[in-house]
Amino acid sequence: MVEAKNLCMKYGKGKQLALENVNFFIDRGEFAFFVGSSGAGKSTLLKLIIREIKPTEGVIKVFNRDVGRLPRHRLPYLRRNIGMVFQDFRLMEERSVYDNVAFAMIVTGSSRREVKRRVPHVLNLVGLQDKAKAKITDLSGGEQQRVGLARAIANRPAMIIADEPTGNLDPGTALDIMNLLRSINLRGTTVLVATHNRDIVDRFRKRVLYLENGKLVGDEQKGIYTNVH
Amino acid sequence: MFISGFIYILGETLKGLYRNRWMCITSTGVVMVTLLMLGLFMLVNLNVRHITEAVKEQVEMVVYINEEADRAAVEELGQKILGHREVARVEYVSSEEHMGRLQQQLGGMLEGYDSALDNPLLASFEVRTEDPEAVVRLADEFEAYPGVAAVFYGQGYVENLFEVTRVVQVIGLALMVGLAVTAVFLISHTIKLTVMMRKREITIMKYVGATNWFIRWPFLLEGLLMGLVGAALPLGILNYLYGSSIEWVDVNELMFINLLPLQTVMAELAIYLVPLGTGLGILGSMLSMGRFLRV
Repeated sequence: MVEAKNLCMKYGKGKQLALENVNFFIDRGEFAFFVGSSGAGKSTLLKLIIREIKPTEGVIKVFNRDVGRLPRHRLPYLRRNIGMVFQDFRLMEERSVYDNVAFAMIVTGSSRREVKRRVPHVLNLVGLQDKAKAKITDLSGGEQQRVGLARAIANRPAMIIADEPTGNLDPGTALDIMNLLRSINLRGTTVLVATHNRDIVDRFRKRVLYLENGKLVGDEQKGIYTNVH
Repeated sequence: MFISGFIYILGETLKGLYRNRWMCITSTGVVMVTLLMLGLFMLVNLNVRHITEAVKEQVEMVVYINEEADRAAVEELGQKILGHREVARVEYVSSEEHMGRLQQQLGGMLEGYDSALDNPLLASFEVRTEDPEAVVRLADEFEAYPGVAAVFYGQGYVENLFEVTRVVQVIGLALMVGLAVTAVFLISHTIKLTVMMRKREITIMKYVGATNWFIRWPFLLEGLLMGLVGAALPLGILNYLYGSSIEWVDVNELMFINLLPLQTVMAELAIYLVPLGTGLGILGSMLSMGRFLRV
């Protein structure tokens, strides 16, 4: 599903490598954590997967396609198969919960009937069925991240990518969000999470890929943050 | 999918206009003020050109015929001048006709003077050229023709008139180009502000997999609508102002101010301002969005 071969990324001439010779393969339906301290290269790796940036060297394959060589006009179709979850939620604050989720479906061409049927269903999955009409600004941080998750799964993506999804949340809420991600994974969706939250990683015992100064220094099935390090 | 996408784009355009109504009003206001200034200037320029053209039309030269030239020579000279490709019209004025005109101009001052006995005035050809500015050059050419005593065209005054109209036109053109460039600058910056305010929305659209054209359409339609309104309002204002000016000139009987008719001027202004307004709106949207679409 996601394969990196000798992946290198350098942001500018004379700058240090953000990623250096990274190699891994993540299979369909896996749940994997990318861990490491700030600046280790986690976010760079996620940006490469959704082709926000192109690799300096090496290959990154997503759904068996070399995304570094993907023409710009094909990018929307790649991203429709990937649900993104962000640390800062990236929601449209002036719109309702329903509109934020529906938006992801409408802009990718879903019919109005499909939107009407699907949005209440995904809001139900993340436990926000009663908040459909609420404004984003009236929600707590945890609720906002649930909206982010609902939006990410609205288009039934094959993979969810979450960049520090619990970074702005208290431990209890963070656990709720991670449990939601696990249940999404149990339905067959591949989930990749970049985080430096030790407690979460250690509690979930999933595959852990440890990055340090742009290098992949550990890759363990059912790993824990400390062990890998 | 096509219909739901179309409804969405249309809805987003209207919602976008409503949500960012103050910014839209500002943008439209900027388009309006700049196009109003541009239109006002075009109006003045069109009329200045019209008046100077009318003055130029009155420029003619008088080719005086030698006293010794016989009838055949005069006819030959007349044919030669008329045959010149830059000459539009030639009229023969005899020395008697000149005297008649002079007597009329001077009124009673020449009373008792018998012009049949002693008429010092020379017969002439009054020549209108296709291009009024050609008189200066043609005067030199005709002066060399046999049978020509002298050529007059208001030497000195005509050159000044041509120089002044040229300067007025150059200044007019420079000011219009300057205003148009200012309009593009102001409008693209104002729309850029609108787009920047919605940067978050555009980025989210990119992440969820919207195509660039799907993102662009609502902004383009917004730009088009703003440009259209921004052009229509100045046209309305200019229509009122110009109509009032024509009325004022009529009421005060200032017939020497020969203004162009209202319909002609408004049609000319609409031809420039409407495409300019909508074009600027669309161009402004396109230019200011480019950077945000590269996510």
